[in-house]
Amino acid sequence: MKKRSTLNVRVNGEWVETSVVRGQSLLDFIREDLNLTGTKKGCGRGDCGSCVVLINGRARTTCNLSASKVEGQEITTIEGLAQGNHLHPIQEAFIEAGAIQCGYCTPGMVLQAKDLLDHCAHPSEGDIKEALNGHICRCTGYVKIIEAIQLASQKMKVNPV
Amino acid sequence: MTEIGSRIRLIDAVEKVTGSLKYGSDFKLPGMLYGKVLRSPFPHARIVSMDVNEARRLPGVKAVVTGLEEDLPIYSVAGENYPDERLLARDKVRYIGDEVAAVAAIDEATAREALKRIQVEYEEIPAVFDPVEAMREGAPRVHENIKQNIARTIHIKHGDIDTAFRDSDAVVEATFKTPLVHQAYLEPHSAVAQWDFQGRVTFWIPTQSPTLARMTYANALGISRDKIRIIQMPMGGAFGGKLEYKLHPLCALLARKANAPVKMTNTREEEFTASLPRVPMIIKMRAGCKKDGTLLGKQAEIVADNGAYLNYGPGILLSATIRHDNLYRLKNVQTDSYLVYTNKVPTGCFRGFGCPQSFFAFESLIDMLAHEIQMDPADFRLKNASQSGDTTPHQWYFGSCGLSEAITRSTEKADWYSKRKALPAKRSQDTVYGIGIACCLHVSGNRSFLPFFDGASANVRINEEGHVIVHVGEPDIGQGSKTTFALIAAHELGIPIEWVQVASLDTDISPHGLGTFGDRSTTLTGNAVRSAAIEARQQLLEAAGRKMNVSPSTLSIEEGIIASSQDSSLQMEFKEAAQIVSFERAGATVIGHGHFVPPNVCMVDPTTKVGNISCAYPFVAQIAEVEVNLKSGEVKILSLTAAHDLGKTLNPLLAEGQVHGAVAQGIGFALMEEMRLKEGKVTNPNFKQYLVPKAKDIPPIQTLFVESNDPYGPYGAKGLAEPALTPIAPAIANAIYHATGIRITELPMTPEKVKAALENKA
Repeated sequence: MKKRSTLNVRVNGEWVETSVVRGQSLLDFIREDLNLTGTKKGCGRGDCGSCVVLINGRARTTCNLSASKVEGQEITTIEGLAQGNHLHPIQEAFIEAGAIQCGYCTPGMVLQAKDLLDHCAHPSEGDIKEALNGHICRCTGYVKIIEAIQLASQKMKVNPV
Repeated sequence: MTEIGSRIRLIDAVEKVTGSLKYGSDFKLPGMLYGKVLRSPFPHARIVSMDVNEARRLPGVKAVVTGLEEDLPIYSVAGENYPDERLLARDKVRYIGDEVAAVAAIDEATAREALKRIQVEYEEIPAVFDPVEAMREGAPRVHENIKQNIARTIHIKHGDIDTAFRDSDAVVEATFKTPLVHQAYLEPHSAVAQWDFQGRVTFWIPTQSPTLARMTYANALGISRDKIRIIQMPMGGAFGGKLEYKLHPLCALLARKANAPVKMTNTREEEFTASLPRVPMIIKMRAGCKKDGTLLGKQAEIVADNGAYLNYGPGILLSATIRHDNLYRLKNVQTDSYLVYTNKVPTGCFRGFGCPQSFFAFESLIDMLAHEIQMDPADFRLKNASQSGDTTPHQWYFGSCGLSEAITRSTEKADWYSKRKALPAKRSQDTVYGIGIACCLHVSGNRSFLPFFDGASANVRINEEGHVIVHVGEPDIGQGSKTTFALIAAHELGIPIEWVQVASLDTDISPHGLGTFGDRSTTLTGNAVRSAAIEARQQLLEAAGRKMNVSPSTLSIEEGIIASSQDSSLQMEFKEAAQIVSFERAGATVIGHGHFVPPNVCMVDPTTKVGNISCAYPFVAQIAEVEVNLKSGEVKILSLTAAHDLGKTLNPLLAEGQVHGAVAQGIGFALMEEMRLKEGKVTNPNFKQYLVPKAKDIPPIQTLFVESNDPYGPYGAKGLAEPALTPIAPAIANAIYHATGIRITELPMTPEKVKAALENKA
């Protein structure tokens, strides 16, 4: 039998008490155990940003992080961002700006943007590009993603979340 | 009214932005097993023996399949007549990554462990990696029956090339090389397969063509096509790389053996080592012109490094051989092309289908000719540009051609003429500036292979509540074609786009479509959706007419209201009309059928390759402005101006996105991307070492749309996604030449290469 260890973690506002296989990645735990498949797997080694979630409000890749490392911490996945049917302003901005094509990088991009805007309300274009440096999008050429984050920044100024 | 040409958001954007859309790799079935593939560690070796007993005994292992035990037919993609592969190697392996065996187990870790317990005895044999060496007499044969490893040759000739060069005032020649590059779609390949008790298998796969996948997998598994159902899953990017792929039928093979559903997913490393990247080419090309800039002739020899198995190599070679000849009014052309097997990863389709390779050579050469006769490169192109109404030596007919307008508008936007004069300029001790232009054309659907039929069909279904579902044969591969089809249906039906859904494909339900490739969706399927919507609308108007006692020809639909042009008091809701039709026919759904057969299009002649392969040809002109660091060789792109004759812009929001994405991939191809191989082994199989453009690598992009209103495209629309990539690399190469006087002929144009060329020149 594979060795398991207990894990208590708060995911999208709810505490989860469970056990994980020793060495299991946080990504695998989120996708396979919790069935939250909005968090994507693109590379398995932290190079592409598809698997980014927020851990205590900070964007972090999860494919290269052990699930046991997040004991007691607060995780927000893309499924936890909208309030019911109300999309977060960043999500609205991604749709309005046309920043989504295939959508596979989108959850990671949106959460990275949330980390950025929560810590820097009015980022410059350079700040945004710097924040996106760990993310790959193969569809959009990033142009509209950058525009979306700028738009989200304006939206959040008008209507703080 | 949903207007053609308005900025329409992606109709499935909410699912995507909330993470609720289930992609292929997210899909699960109860009781599902997980499969993994054992791959060859040698580039070329005989399989002497294989022992899988220990793997089978491992607890949790439910099935092990090998090429020695399974009776697997030899097949080729899309029913083509060049069978050269089996799902699992039987006699020998031909590249590092070749599929040898596969395992299904209760989880991936167990499956991986089982792979380690399979004992394979190989006898290594000499391998060949370089395509030119592979063509030599006596080179190791990748496939025993193929002499000198030449899988395909194409010889085309029009006019008189010798006279053309004799009459030329300037003749230039160079040899160009393009690297092995990966589509690098963000979602790795995945598959889920399950058999039923009637011996029928269902696939849940992200694929660009369920029809072609069904045909190929039937041939690969040795079963009839009607035993296969394919349910297309949303996909995280494709770019040509998600046509048929071995992992899918292998998954079915395991599922049959295990008698349980099986899921398989590639790792990123497997993507780089064993999927289907772009065909590298060595292109020796010569061109000549008169002093006044009249282009007289072009001669080329193309050696395409296909890798171990053919896939779509023959079609890609044909495209690389012929397409560029049609860009300008060029009468004398001759090309000899060779598709060559090597002991490397097999290659396949990637946005552009041979054109990013051949246009890099051709559009670099055009720049060289312009320089030779001291003519502005944009003027040179304008002088020779193909025009609407032209028929080329390959018998391509241009019902619309906005090439000259694309060149003119991009030069205006980029301030080309004043910058060409002012530049190259030194900005500092170490940096120089340059500006370059390149063009291309493409197809909107490609008739040059796939003999069955051409065109597309669609159904527009309206239920008794007025809810509209569009069924097409061309999957949305992430580019947003569902939104395009919804826009067309909503526009024709006179309803808000929110009332329209576009179904994902299911071969039990959807029209039998060829799939999404060759820039065919908007033009061919778009036309089919349009005529299906018009037919469905007619059924509603006839029902409304009966009810209102007026002629249906006096009725129209706007904002979901059917109204009479003769009596404004006569109105009916869209859904009421739908209900009338449905209830009159005992609950039947209103279905409008539509299809579109592209006019004047034919298969190419098998020998001369002559034939009009598409009903509409898009044209592109792109201008790159660069800064070259003379010390480091680093090339920084300062701006890109991209002008596209897409016929008609159906939805600028999505069209701009296509251009931006293609430009980014073009920048990757031009400057960064290269799968490096050592003795056949990919040495950079990850995103840390295989660099694709990131946000900071993208310059400001000016996107311009030229609307030439094609006579056959829906509302005039032509293809867009593929040609938007093609001219980037030559535009950048031409800008580097303008800045520095050095001509880079090998991609990617890395700082090392540029620096070496600068030092060479000095």
